[in-house]
Amino acid sequence: MLDAAELSTHRKRLNRRRMHLAAFLCLLLLFTAFWRLGAGEWDIPLARVLTLLSPLLEESSRTSPEALIIRSVRLPRFLAAVGTGGLLAVAGAVLQGLLTNPLAEPYTLGIAAGAAFGGAIGFLFNSYAVPPMAFAGAMAALWLVSYISSRSGGGASSIVLAGIIANAILSAGVTFLKAIADDRLSAIVLWLMGSLSGASPLAAVSIWVAALILFVPAFLCARQIDAVSLSEGQGTLLGINEKKLRCLLLTVSSLATAAAVSFFGIIGFVGLAVPHLMRNFIGPSTKPLLVFSFLAGGLLLALADGAAQRLGELPVGVITALIGGPFFCWILMSRRHSV
Amino acid sequence: MLDTYEQETQCMSLYTFSGLCAGYGTKTIIDNISGNIESGRITALIGPNGGGKSTLLRALGGLVDYSGSLELGTREVKNISRRDFGRTVGFLPQTINVKTAFSVYEIISLGRLPFRGILEPMNNYDDKIVLESADLAEVGDLLFRTATELSGGERQRVLLAMILAQQPKLFLLDEPTSALDPNHARCIFSLLRRLVSEGRSVVAAAHDLNSAISFCDDFIALKAGEVIASGPVSMLDGKILHELYGTKFQCYRSKEGNTAWHPE
Repeated sequence: MLDAAELSTHRKRLNRRRMHLAAFLCLLLLFTAFWRLGAGEWDIPLARVLTLLSPLLEESSRTSPEALIIRSVRLPRFLAAVGTGGLLAVAGAVLQGLLTNPLAEPYTLGIAAGAAFGGAIGFLFNSYAVPPMAFAGAMAALWLVSYISSRSGGGASSIVLAGIIANAILSAGVTFLKAIADDRLSAIVLWLMGSLSGASPLAAVSIWVAALILFVPAFLCARQIDAVSLSEGQGTLLGINEKKLRCLLLTVSSLATAAAVSFFGIIGFVGLAVPHLMRNFIGPSTKPLLVFSFLAGGLLLALADGAAQRLGELPVGVITALIGGPFFCWILMSRRHSV
Repeated sequence: MLDTYEQETQCMSLYTFSGLCAGYGTKTIIDNISGNIESGRITALIGPNGGGKSTLLRALGGLVDYSGSLELGTREVKNISRRDFGRTVGFLPQTINVKTAFSVYEIISLGRLPFRGILEPMNNYDDKIVLESADLAEVGDLLFRTATELSGGERQRVLLAMILAQQPKLFLLDEPTSALDPNHARCIFSLLRRLVSEGRSVVAAAHDLNSAISFCDDFIALKAGEVIASGPVSMLDGKILHELYGTKFQCYRSKEGNTAWHPE
């Protein structure tokens, strides 16, 4: 039998490993921040970046072009990238655990397509209508998915199947809207392709608020998610009201996804791959997984956004999929050997 | 001391049910049964496949909708919250697909979930219970293995350790030894006997008639959703078994006085 001492040694080892990884990710994030803030069409040296970011900056130099670039263009864009990537990765981690399905994420569940469809309808009227319409669309998609899955026997596996159906229907809806939008077509297409260029400070703040709205309840329910993800129905046996938990977490995931989609369009892959990647390093326990998914998702999207900008403002979703896809494959295949 | 306890608990009803119907959707599986299950004993639910053993067990655990009355102690099962169930009842399901690659230690720790607040970490007491439970279910040497790599029998014992960590007053076990080899099955049944002697109660759906007879106190025989017979296992005879399984049974007695029933 193991004694308590052995257990605590094991736990310490695990914690040390996690701390190392966290430090590594934070360091990378810091470097990325300097790169994204300093480099661009107009390179600004690091020391200057730091002075310009200081809240004690004098009034007169706040209006200098350099300060404007850093404070209202590069910083919001960087923060928006980190927030969006983190949000999508956390949404993926939550949904994968909650639905006991490795394929669950906002895109495979049709939530993102619903948000896109709602947002596109809003776009036809007024660009201010996009966020609320996107949320309405995400909730409608979620309702549709739950309805289909409950009618087809319920359970976590049917929900992903229903999500794929909803995704197909809603994507067709988006295509239809594009087709009838005439003069606004290019705007919708551009928005949905997914890009972080032109992220306003308001958008950056909103995305962080949305990320918190998802992260806080998910973190508080982390252990419940663990129990639910163990096996279908296991949460109920451990005293959890699974229906309530699912209702809460699916709603906040939809809200967060809707925010991400309405501001920056469709950015796929982060939500699917990042949680899997992190699970490989730190195990499936939800609480640390949420933190690490947020860090890694934010880092990944910030890097991808930088690359997208360097390559002439490509849609960032293209970059995440092009780099991330093969990388994910490699992880999946190499894992078989390590086990 | 044990004797006084037994006297106290004897004839005390754990569950009483009357006019109980339960099923899934529109399909009724348990049809208007009445009876009771006594506390401080191991009660075996026996009967042919599809007879309603699992459904009755799930109804006892508050996991299926039912009509009629079903009381755990003095409370109607319908009105008991999931959290209360999690604190008093350990339920071992029949099929256990562990889908997430948790370590065995993490899984057993989940048994402490109903007792911990939202952000409350595992304390030393929780750890102690987890280690003890792992030891009781004989998975102490597997603690840091990944659950998805375990064999079916190991997984069953890990899940048993998890519900032991819940320290429930009542165990509802759906074929707890279905994936176990005879030695481990015997160990688990002895463990259950020990738990019962400490005042817990066990209700188990049993597919293995003879281990049920040798380790259980009472039986409820279910066929086609109805109770055919119930009572102490000593009451089981060829007639009941014939009616239950639809085939004639032969009784074998060992020199030590153990009995075993086998189809003719």
